[in-house]
Amino acid sequence: MKPWVAAILYAVLGAITFVVCFPLLWAISTSLKPKDEIFRWPPTIWPENITFDAYRELLFGGSVASAPGAGVPPSAYFLTWFGNSIIVSIGSTVISITVATLAAYSLTRFRFWGQRAVPYIAILGYMVPSVIFVFPMFLTMVSLELTDTLFSLILGYVCITLPFCLWLMWAFFRGVPIEIEEAAMVDGATRLQVFRQIVLPVALPGIIAASIFSLIVSWNDYLFGRVFMNSMENLPLTVGVMHFFDGTHVDWALMMASSVLMTLPMAILFGFMQRHLVAGFGAGAVKG
Amino acid sequence: MTDLIVQGLSKSFGSNQVLKALDLTVPSRQFVTLLGPSGCGKTTLLRMIAGLEKATAGEIRFGDRRVDMLPPGERNIAMVFQSYALYPTMDVARNIGYGLEVRGTPKPERTEKIGAVAKVLEIAHLLLRKPKQLSGGQRQRVALGRAMARRPDIFLMDEPLSNLDAKLRATMRGELRRFHLDLGTTTVYVTHDQLEAMTMSDLVVVMNEGVVQQIGTPEEVYGKPANLFVAGFIGTPPMNLIPAQISNGMLAVAGTPIPVPLPPRAPPDVVLGVRPQDVAMAAPGDAGAIPGKVWMVELIGSERLIEVEIAPKIRVTAEVRASHRASIDDAVAVRPDPAHIHLFDPATGQALTG
Repeated sequence: MKPWVAAILYAVLGAITFVVCFPLLWAISTSLKPKDEIFRWPPTIWPENITFDAYRELLFGGSVASAPGAGVPPSAYFLTWFGNSIIVSIGSTVISITVATLAAYSLTRFRFWGQRAVPYIAILGYMVPSVIFVFPMFLTMVSLELTDTLFSLILGYVCITLPFCLWLMWAFFRGVPIEIEEAAMVDGATRLQVFRQIVLPVALPGIIAASIFSLIVSWNDYLFGRVFMNSMENLPLTVGVMHFFDGTHVDWALMMASSVLMTLPMAILFGFMQRHLVAGFGAGAVKG
Repeated sequence: MTDLIVQGLSKSFGSNQVLKALDLTVPSRQFVTLLGPSGCGKTTLLRMIAGLEKATAGEIRFGDRRVDMLPPGERNIAMVFQSYALYPTMDVARNIGYGLEVRGTPKPERTEKIGAVAKVLEIAHLLLRKPKQLSGGQRQRVALGRAMARRPDIFLMDEPLSNLDAKLRATMRGELRRFHLDLGTTTVYVTHDQLEAMTMSDLVVVMNEGVVQQIGTPEEVYGKPANLFVAGFIGTPPMNLIPAQISNGMLAVAGTPIPVPLPPRAPPDVVLGVRPQDVAMAAPGDAGAIPGKVWMVELIGSERLIEVEIAPKIRVTAEVRASHRASIDDAVAVRPDPAHIHLFDPATGQALTG
């Protein structure tokens, strides 16, 4: 590559990176500012006086359990919302991955009617915006008396993540040569042993990629949480933090500290799993 | 030591019948090659012996044990796949020992067997590597090691050398044969490469379109082909198959009488088969030589192939010493060696024997 081409390329990439990263940097900066500095004009890019008050209030400012009833500040619910988000994200991911993995395996290994159509129908379903599903699903949850429960959110997230996870795992399993399974069967392994000891380790990058996708979708969702949940103690984090905005006043420090804390689990997960994620999506892309 | 007996074995995929009531007996300790062109059913037969495909009809026995209803793991066979099919997430040692592991062999015994097999195959230094860190030849050895570790009743090999380069293939041919002689395990080997079949086998089973065409030693299938398919399939360059006529007890090709003893009840029109090595070049007008014109000359190392057109669209190839010179369109003649002439019935394709 010629030097001037590389220079332009790096300049463009740098600009894009800045645009993408700026909101996060701004959130971190704001979360560390004292209240008077947040509204100062001109704004300071980096806080002059760093304070962890917002984090302290969110993490150690008391809990709903210690001060129940009316008048509880929204920040007291933060850890509860955090826990809710963890439960629904992990719950929906475990269900999505289990169903997607088993379904994708059967779709690539057994012959039955409709075998070829299922992955395509699934991916078509994923292409429909989830806002179209949310109200019919809400009505279903009402009739099942599941509204305002974490389980309703888990089911909702499974519905939106399963099709893509199924597609991804299907593409992955199609790339796993059937001979290694046949070799294991000749070696004396049962179908279950073959799946557990041979297929799953090979499919691990795909499982990790699909898991991260599912975790991110359910962790970041706002729509389902907004529609399905109404009591403060059952909200997921994304919906809960909106309570730092009460119509007349926005607690920007708490809002930004929440955003930073909310980003952390996914950022850490992404950092550790990045290698597998690339391998997983790569395999799906090439062989799917 | 186990005989392999296949009786009336048929296999259909939908309306496509891949194997047609096939019978085959492989005596204990023999190295048998299933040889045939792509799609002839040889791999399907091997997979049915392994239990990876279910038979539509017929039965398979290992000695007096009927196995066609058993899953692959209960047949006590070992199989080497064309792609080697090593377990990519396991190291070489675990690949070799996996069959022992799932059968509950205690770890010390397993380690000992893995070590012994690795030593024989000269891969002891690779035991901790993953398959992707191995060369093609090393993977081949690991696949063999996995098959050998369990001491199976029957070895099944599905074109195991086809992914190797020509030089390594030649080396491995010899090694495979050597291992078979040392272990003495009944072996069924699938290939479309007749050189492998001829050099390695005790018995060759030539197959075409799901039917066994001939079973015999390499010498038999080469020297006494049972039908036109075997005659044309075995041998490089292939056998010349020339239309010939019998009248007044004399065989004639393109009007030239060929002095060969004729089988009784031979039809008036036959196909004469003669290998290029058994065709000599002669001068036009020589007795017993079929006149023609040189159509193509090819040098193949120490030999030269001379293709002679003896009648429109009918050509005979002679394999002669490279020092024999010929030019295209030269007027020459070819003389088939009467001692090595085969006659076939064009209607049935079967060899006519005396």
